Amino acid sequence: MAGGESSKELVEELKGTLEKARELVRELEAKLARAGVAVTSAGEGDLAQRLARTEADVKELATQLAASERQISRLMNLYVATYQLHATLTPEEVLQTIAEIAVNLLGADAFALILRRDGGTGFEVALAQGLASGPYAVFSGPEYQGGDPAVDATLADGMLRLAPIPNSPAVAVVPLKVQGEIVGVLVVLKLLPHKPALRPEDRELLDLLSAHAASALFAARIFASKDRRLRTLESLIKLARGE
Amino acid sequence: MLPKKVLAVDDSKLMLRMYEVMLRGTPVLLAENGQQALELLAHHPDVDLVLLDINMPVMSGLDFLAALGQQGKLPGLPVIVVSTDGEEEQIQRGLACGAVAYLTKPFDAERLRAAIAALPEGE
Repeated sequence: MAGGESSKELVEELKGTLEKARELVRELEAKLARAGVAVTSAGEGDLAQRLARTEADVKELATQLAASERQISRLMNLYVATYQLHATLTPEEVLQTIAEIAVNLLGADAFALILRRDGGTGFEVALAQGLASGPYAVFSGPEYQGGDPAVDATLADGMLRLAPIPNSPAVAVVPLKVQGEIVGVLVVLKLLPHKPALRPEDRELLDLLSAHAASALFAARIFASKDRRLRTLESLIKLARGE
Repeated sequence: MLPKKVLAVDDSKLMLRMYEVMLRGTPVLLAENGQQALELLAHHPDVDLVLLDINMPVMSGLDFLAALGQQGKLPGLPVIVVSTDGEEEQIQRGLACGAVAYLTKPFDAERLRAAIAALPEGE
C-alpha cells in the first residue's frame, strides 16, 4: 500500500511542479511586458513545446504507474495463491486452499475438483461446492464417470476450456497437471451473482491452478501416506521392544 | 484514511495472508472469527480499521458488529465488510449493523485501497 501511495504522491508532485512552472512563465512574461521587453515568438514557442512535452511525459508516467499497480495487484493474488497451496502437507488443507482460491480469488459459486484415482482407473470427485442446485448431477457423486463433454475432452487433451462451451454448463474447465501428465480437472460451473464472467486476468490464476493445485495435493497425499506408514512402523518397533 | 493498525477477520487463511500482503507496511492483526476478533480488539485498542468477513464459524461478522455496537465502539471504529455475498439485501444489512463500507469478493489491492481511501479521516 505504501508503494501505491508514494507513486500517486510523485505524480501529484510532478503536476504541482508543472503548475508552478506555468505560473513562473506567466509572471516572467508579465514582468518582461511591464519592462517593455518583448518576448520573442521563437522563445515562447520553444517554452510551450517543452512544457507540452513535460506534460505528456507526466501523463505517460501516470498511465505506466496505473498499469504497474494493476500488474502488482495481479502478482499479489498469484503469489498468495501459490504460497498458500504449498504452505501445508495436509491433503485436507490443500483441498481447502483450492476451494478458497476458487471462491475468493476467482469468484466461483459452484465448482468440482476431479482427480484420477491412484492406479489410473476412474476419477474421484475430490472436492465439490455449490452443486445443490443446477444441472450438475454428473459431478455430485463421489466418482466422476464421464458425461460432461468439456470435462471429458480436457481430461483427454489437457486443454483449458472457457465459456461458452458447447453442451456443457461449465464456465471453465482447468486441466490439472503433475509433471506434464493430466491428473484431473477443476470445473468451475457457476460464478458468484455479482461476477458475470471471468476477466482476462483470471486466466493467470487458472494457469496457476493448472500447474500447482494437483502437484501440491499429490505431494501432501504422498507425505500423509508416508507419515502413516512411519507411524505404523514406529508402533511395531515399540511393540517388539515391549515398550 | 491511512490506517495505523488493521484487524482482518476471515475464516480463510488465504484471505488473511492476502490482507497481510496487500496492506504491507501497515501492522495487520489476524482473526479467524468474530470471537477471536473481539479478544484481539480488547488487547489492541489502537486498531483503527477492521476488515470483516460475514460467513464465519463460532461468531459471524454480523454478530461481531452487534457486539461492537453493544460495547459502544460503533461508529467510532470503521469496519469494512468484505464478503462473497453481493446481494443488495445483505449489503444493506451489513451497513445497518454499523459497517461503513461493503466490498464484494473477489477484489484486488486497488479496490481495497480505494475503499480505505474513501473513508473519511478521523473515522
